[in-house]
Amino acid sequence: MDQLDILKQKWQEREQEFPQLSYSDIYQMLLKKSSSIVKWIFIISIAELLFWTLLSLSVPESYSTIYSELGVETIIFIFNIISYIIIISFIYLFYKNYRSIRVTDNTKKLMSNILKTRRSVRYFVMANVSLFVISTTIISVIFYMNSSTLYEVMDFAALGVPEDNFATAFIIVQIIVGVFFVGVLALFYWLIYGILLRRLKRNYKELKLIDR
Amino acid sequence: MTKELEHSFVSQLEENQNIVHKICRLYTQDSDSHNDLFQEITIQLWRAYPKFRGDSKFSTWMYRVALNTAITLYRKSKRKVQTQDFEGVSFKITSEEYDDTVEEQLKVMYKAVKDLNDIDKALVFLYLEDKSYKEIAETLGITEVNSRVKMNRIKEKLRKILNP
Repeated sequence: MDQLDILKQKWQEREQEFPQLSYSDIYQMLLKKSSSIVKWIFIISIAELLFWTLLSLSVPESYSTIYSELGVETIIFIFNIISYIIIISFIYLFYKNYRSIRVTDNTKKLMSNILKTRRSVRYFVMANVSLFVISTTIISVIFYMNSSTLYEVMDFAALGVPEDNFATAFIIVQIIVGVFFVGVLALFYWLIYGILLRRLKRNYKELKLIDR
Repeated sequence: MTKELEHSFVSQLEENQNIVHKICRLYTQDSDSHNDLFQEITIQLWRAYPKFRGDSKFSTWMYRVALNTAITLYRKSKRKVQTQDFEGVSFKITSEEYDDTVEEQLKVMYKAVKDLNDIDKALVFLYLEDKSYKEIAETLGITEVNSRVKMNRIKEKLRKILNP
């Protein structure tokens, strides 16, 4: 007889000893708050959706003058439309996936739905970052080609910035800021995924391996 | 209505609490986390309870929610719970069958099970609870054939750990 079967036999024959909880102990537990991973994913996801929505909708007032001076209003308008489409479709997708998480599903389905929900937020952020990079690149090129107009409109002379190397300096600053921004984001996501999803991903992989 | 629901839920959980305790003991290392996981499982069970139609036994339904919480949803929290210390498995002992060696073997075996990964542990747990392979497969979302194959592999693994 297998050793596991001996354990099974004893497991069946005899009750294990546990400190028994009373009716009121259990009742008290109903009033406590959950600290499940799904709750954390929900909070973080909502924060991200809000952050990116606000960021993509907020353009400083002073920029509109520059945009109209340089004639890039149409491009900005198109990017805004794309941005709204992204926000609306991803909020819908997130909501749909989040609602599909049910603790009464089988383990594999539950894990898959949680990962799907998380992925929808990650794609949302990636779409926003891509849009941000593309729009910044296009606008920077336009700015670069019209650097003298930009120099005048933003009144860099008053700030003591010399006009000679202005265009080059402008592009370099844009690139540095862009790379830094994307780097911070990558670190942020690496941390969030590392802390929150490591165990879940490992277990999901393990489950999928069984059926391979 | 809510009061009624609360009452029937708490009574049923009180009656079946050992199932949850067994899972907590397998998946946590100390009594603090044990109680914390118990708490989380209770919350998850309670949330899902209004949809529990009674088309299966309450205990059967509990296995799935409790295991899902232990494997997937549970995150250690710093929430304070009252604790009582205990370690490993301890069976209630009846005087006529007391035997040190059996007891010792059981402890070693239990520890080996506890050291398995989360998924293997869930399989073994359901097996120890005398669930059919069909039920094990349905709970975890794998095929019945593969749950059998996997179980045999785990048995082999345990054998090697215990008899190196």
